[in-house]
Parts: sequence; structure tokens; C-alpha cells
Amino acid sequence: MALPFLEAMVPAMAATRAAKPPVRMAFVYVPNGIIMNGWNPDYEGKLGALPRILKPLEPFREDILLLGNLTHNAGRALLDGAGDHGRCSASYLTGVHPRKTLVDIQAGVSFDQIVAKQVGAHTRFPSLELGMEDARQAGDCDSGYSCAYTNNLAWESETQPLPPVLDPRALFERLFGKGQTLTPEARARENLYRRSILDFVSDDTRKLEADLGPTDRRKLDEYLSSIREIERQIERAEKDNAQIDPHMEKPYGVPADFAEHFKLMTDMMTVAFQSDLTRVITFLVTHEGTSRPYREIDIPDGHHPLTHHRNQPDLIEKVTQINSYHVRQFAAWIAKMKSIKEGDSTLLDNCMIVYGAGLSDGNRHLHEDLPTLVAGRGGNYINSGRRIVYRRETPMCNLFLAMMDRMGVHAERFGDSTGSLDGLDLA
Amino acid sequence: MQFPGKAKPPVGIVFDCALGSKIDDALALAMLHGFEGKNEARIAAIGISNPDLKAAQFADIVGLFYASATTGVARAFMHLTPIGLDEGKPRAASPMLNAPLARTDANGKPTYTSTVTSIHDTADVTTLIRNALTAQDDQNAAFVLTGPATDLAKLLDTYGLRELIAQKVKLLCMAAGTFPDGPAEPNIKADVAAARKVLAGWPGPLVAAGYEIGAALPFPGASIEKDFAWSAAHPVADAYSACRPMPYDAPSWAMAAMLYAVRPKENYFKLSGPGTITVSDDGRTSFAESENGRHRYLILDPAQKERILRTYTEIASAKPVVRKPPHPADEKKEEKKEEKKEEV
Repeated sequence: MALPFLEAMVPAMAATRAAKPPVRMAFVYVPNGIIMNGWNPDYEGKLGALPRILKPLEPFREDILLLGNLTHNAGRALLDGAGDHGRCSASYLTGVHPRKTLVDIQAGVSFDQIVAKQVGAHTRFPSLELGMEDARQAGDCDSGYSCAYTNNLAWESETQPLPPVLDPRALFERLFGKGQTLTPEARARENLYRRSILDFVSDDTRKLEADLGPTDRRKLDEYLSSIREIERQIERAEKDNAQIDPHMEKPYGVPADFAEHFKLMTDMMTVAFQSDLTRVITFLVTHEGTSRPYREIDIPDGHHPLTHHRNQPDLIEKVTQINSYHVRQFAAWIAKMKSIKEGDSTLLDNCMIVYGAGLSDGNRHLHEDLPTLVAGRGGNYINSGRRIVYRRETPMCNLFLAMMDRMGVHAERFGDSTGSLDGLDLA
Repeated sequence: MQFPGKAKPPVGIVFDCALGSKIDDALALAMLHGFEGKNEARIAAIGISNPDLKAAQFADIVGLFYASATTGVARAFMHLTPIGLDEGKPRAASPMLNAPLARTDANGKPTYTSTVTSIHDTADVTTLIRNALTAQDDQNAAFVLTGPATDLAKLLDTYGLRELIAQKVKLLCMAAGTFPDGPAEPNIKADVAAARKVLAGWPGPLVAAGYEIGAALPFPGASIEKDFAWSAAHPVADAYSACRPMPYDAPSWAMAAMLYAVRPKENYFKLSGPGTITVSDDGRTSFAESENGRHRYLILDPAQKERILRTYTEIASAKPVVRKPPHPADEKKEEKKEEKKEEV
């Protein structure tokens, strides 16, 4: 089992120069655009009061950077007609205009994978691909675009997407278990003998505790408690699922409740970052074109149909509520990341977590002024707490180029970049 | 910028100009909108090499003026392409830009309201044009250059753009030079190095509309008060009236370039044989005929003069047309709504 970053890991003599925790990056993708009136503040510069959708992030406004006018030209039709949902998710991290097809899919290597290939050697998992909905890799998910385009963010080659792990239990086992996902049968068999993973390592942790200072002991205790809590949540989720109508197809171990599922996944992302299991995560919250209803917040209508609101205020209100609901879950994760100390900084400080979408206006399918925020400072690099508005048509890939640089991966260009995005850093 | 992928659309025009110094560019812009209304051309991108936010604001209000006939769902779905603008300090105050932007109605409200309020509302010209070209069918775009060649020279220096231009663009028509010879023309003179780069490196056919063409085809100032009078307020007419003391006729080499780019086969002009245009250090152009040359220049056919001037005024003063919404279903629903309203 991996451990968090402890002060004891830094030799006393080297503490001043070598204590820098690694920089990590994550992408949290939400589909079908955002109601931009509720996202874009009417000012630039230092963040003050945030618009309605971003309100949950107000306590963390010093930790976020809002970027305006970033554009993904590759997501546009470019003579390929309908299919903006398929295109915008496929191009989001690849920066490539995907081939319109149901069979011989082709996009490009996503930038997270370029980073993962270089920094992944330092961690157990070069990257983690996570999601919460629908991992179908075939079929037509948008006007002739394969579901492989809508249901993946990360691409390890032009033709090979990396499907996200949806099941928190599978993720847990992958992170902390045997390094492989068990089949449901094997998992059931194991459950007969199941004890907490912590039980298996309790002797080792006791020995380790004896050698730690009080700060590290507290940190280790918090860490182990968080793992115990995740185990409890998974048990609870499985119990809840057992009560769901058996005719419904629900993946084993996936909570029915959206917020609970989101929390489980982000809790594990936290631990994965904290214990340096990986430095690169993509999280496809739900996929483009999803018609998922949000009964949790009294919205029984499908998300995607609602976004074609034709400027009707009641429909815009519902989409705004869905957008806010997503941000609320995200803000809870940011709170957790910020609460975890790493030396003189926090786990959040040492991350670059991009929250965004491949469409701005879901009604008109616009690929410009994409809703984009970066949480965390990338290791004291990003000058957060601001809104920066760039010129129209500024490529989203310019941000990726800047992030790659921060992750230690130097490239001259990526996708349709025209240069590294300026204005992010403290300089 | 985007176009549903069905039948091949009309030619996509990339218009790069220097709005502010000469009225000819504003008239060419009006022509471009007129051609778009007639479905003879599409505005792929508008770039402005004169680094003046007011130039972008003017291009914006002209665009909004021509979009004004479209209402309802089609208007809600309408997406106007951003204006590309070079960054820098404006060279000089421009009466032709100031007048329409400062015009107010009886209540003191601006007659035209621009959506461009800062440089962030404009786009980098190179990026804008690059993106626009990616959305064009092969050999179905044309460039019309009516200012210095500064922006186009930058394009040629940008990674991958030369190849993209060769793939997508069938013609560059530039209002530049004097042919077969004569004094230095202002657009060339404004950036000699850029003109040389574009003339030497443009990866496709290039036709020049020389200053002499514009001088021989003066746009009739009387047309402003006659043909543009259908609208109580017309931004291009306001610009014209403010540019110089009225009445005056304006040289039209930018309009000639626009006309040829959109209607190259309608014999408005004669063409020189193929050759190569070169530029001297002081900005004078010279043309050397050669069988393999990729350059030509327009030659005025006196028999076509009246027809050209009629076309100028007809297209530049065309009224805005109603644009259809992107989805026919939306249009039908909107019609039903309107019917219901009328019943009530």
C-alpha cells in the first residue's frame, strides 16, 4: 500500500532544497456546455463575488484561475456537419479534429498521455482514467460519431482511447488492491473472507508509527482514516444497490446517488495524488450528449435535451441548476484537496486541476470561450485568484502547452497551439 | 465560420484590410456583406491590419447592421465571426471610423452598438484566418487584401499555414501596386517587406488590382445619398460622409479586388498575362511577363466601366437579408409561434 508524502521522507539535511512535492494535474470534464451567464464574471482580474454556477467555489477563489475565450477549433464542424458532442469530447485533450466514423476511429494522442509517458515512470500508474457514466466503446453516440469519441477523454494513440474506470470498487482495488480488477465472481468469493485492507497492513503501520514524529503520525492517521472511510462508503454503496429495482442494470459497486459516486471517485483521486500513485488523472464526469436526469435535485428531464433550451427561461434555469450541482461536488473535492498539508503547502497547491467543458453554449454548440477553470497552483507556479480573458479564438491547446511545460514536458506545439498560454504564472 | 457539410457552399472570402485610412476598404466590406446576402460569397474571416480598436468596432457594427434583418430563432442561433485585429497603437485618428461610432439618435443613444469593447473581443488575425481556412472546402476560399500585406506575410511565417493556404485557397486578389508601372502605391509602401514576402511566397494564383484601376473607376459619391438612403442610418454611408468633405468620388481599387474575387468569370476586367510582380525599395511595383508566373493584374476594359460602377453601387448598398436558422425544424416551430401570436 502506498503512503502519503511524509516529512520523515525528507532527510533532515536536504529538507530545505528537496522537500518539493511533485506537481500533479487532473481534468474534470462536464458535458453539454454551461450556461455561460452563470459562469463568466462580468469583470477581469482579482476574483471577487462569483457568478451563480461558480458560487460553491467562492471560499476557494484564491485557489482558482478562471480563463476566458479559450477555443477548440478542432471541435468545430470543419465541413463534417452535425456531431459537435462527439467532436468536442474527442478533441478536448487531443487537440485533433476526429474522423467522423463509427468504425475506424481516429483522433490523436491526448496531451495527458504525452505527460503521463514522461512523468509516469515515477509513479505506479502513469495515469488514471476515471468516469461516472457509460463506457460503451462502440455504436453511434452522436450523428455518426462513435461512442468511443464521447465516452473517453484520454487517447494513448491516434486510434486507441483509454476507457475510464466507472466503478469505485474496481478503482479502489486497482489503487490499493492487487493491481488488477477482479471479476464480480472473484470479488464475491473474496468478500467471504474480506477484511479491511488496513487490517492486512496494521502491523506494518504500527512499526512505522514508532519511527515517526507527531506531525507525520497525525498525517498517517488521517490518511489511514480516509482509506477506511472509502471502504465504508463502498460497502454502503453496495448495500444501497442491493435495494435498487433488480431489473435495472446497475454496475456492481456503483452508487445510485450521483453525489456519492462523485465523492467516492474524487476521494480516491485525492489519495492517488496524495500517495503519488499517479500524477495524471482524467475524470469524465458524464459524457457528451448524456440525457442523464438529475432527480437528486428534482430535475427529471434529460440533461442534453434541456441544454437545447431555445432561450426558454425555465429550461435555462434547470440547466443552470445542473451546472451548479456539478460545481458543488467539485468544490467539495477542492475543499478536501486544500485541507491536506504537504510540507508548507497543500495538496491542492501542488496540483493543476482543470474543470471544464468542450462546449460553452450547449444550445448553439459553440466551441469558443470554453468554460475553463484551473484549481491549484501547480507547485507555486500559477498566480491564482484571478480571471484572465484572452483574445477570441485563443487555442485551448495553448493552455495545455503551458501545463505540459509545468509538468516538465517540453514541446514546441500541441494540437493547434500558437504558443504557450501567457499570464498564468507568478512572474 | 462553420457550415453544415452538405453541398459545396459559395466561395469563402478572407478579407484583410486596413479600415480607417481610406473609404475604399469600407465600401469593399459593404460589398462583401452584399455578396453574402446574395449567397454569392461567405465571410470566412475579416482581419484588420490597422491596429485600431475602432476599426474592429466599425467592422462589427457593419456586420450587425447586415444581420439586423434576421430575427427570432435564426437570430438566436446566429453566430457572427469575430473580427481579427493586429495589436498595437492606432496610427492616427480616423474620421471615417469616429463618425459612425459616435453617432447618436434623438435620445442621445448610440445609433450603432458594437459588441467589441476591448482587444479581448477581437481575435489574433493569424489564428482567426487559420481557423477559418480549416472550415473551407478545398480550393473554395479566396483572399481579398486591401491593406498592407503585413498579416498575410505573418501567415506565411506560421507553422503549417503555407500548406493550408495551398490546399484551401484558389485566389489572392490584392488591391496593391500600380500597373504596368507608376508611382508607389500606399498599400505596398506601408509594408514593403511584407509585400515582397507575399509576392514571392504566396502558394497559389495572385491577381493585383492596381491603383490605376481604382482611379479609373471612382465610386460615385452621389450614390451615398441615393442608393444608401433606404436606411435612415447606414454605417458605411456615415463613414463615407465623414471621410472627406462631401461630395467626392472615391478611388475603388479595394472594391475592384472584391468584385474580381467573388465574380472572376464575369468579364468585368481583362487580365494581364502571367508573370511576376516585384517591388523596389521605395515601394514601386513592376511586372515581368513569364509563362510560368503566378501573378497577373487587372486591366480596365473601358466598355465595362459603367457596368462595374453599377455593380459597385448595387452590391455595396444592398439591403440586409433574412438568414435562415441552422435547423429547418426550428424555423417551422418559430413560424407556428408567430402564427399563434397573430391569432391572439
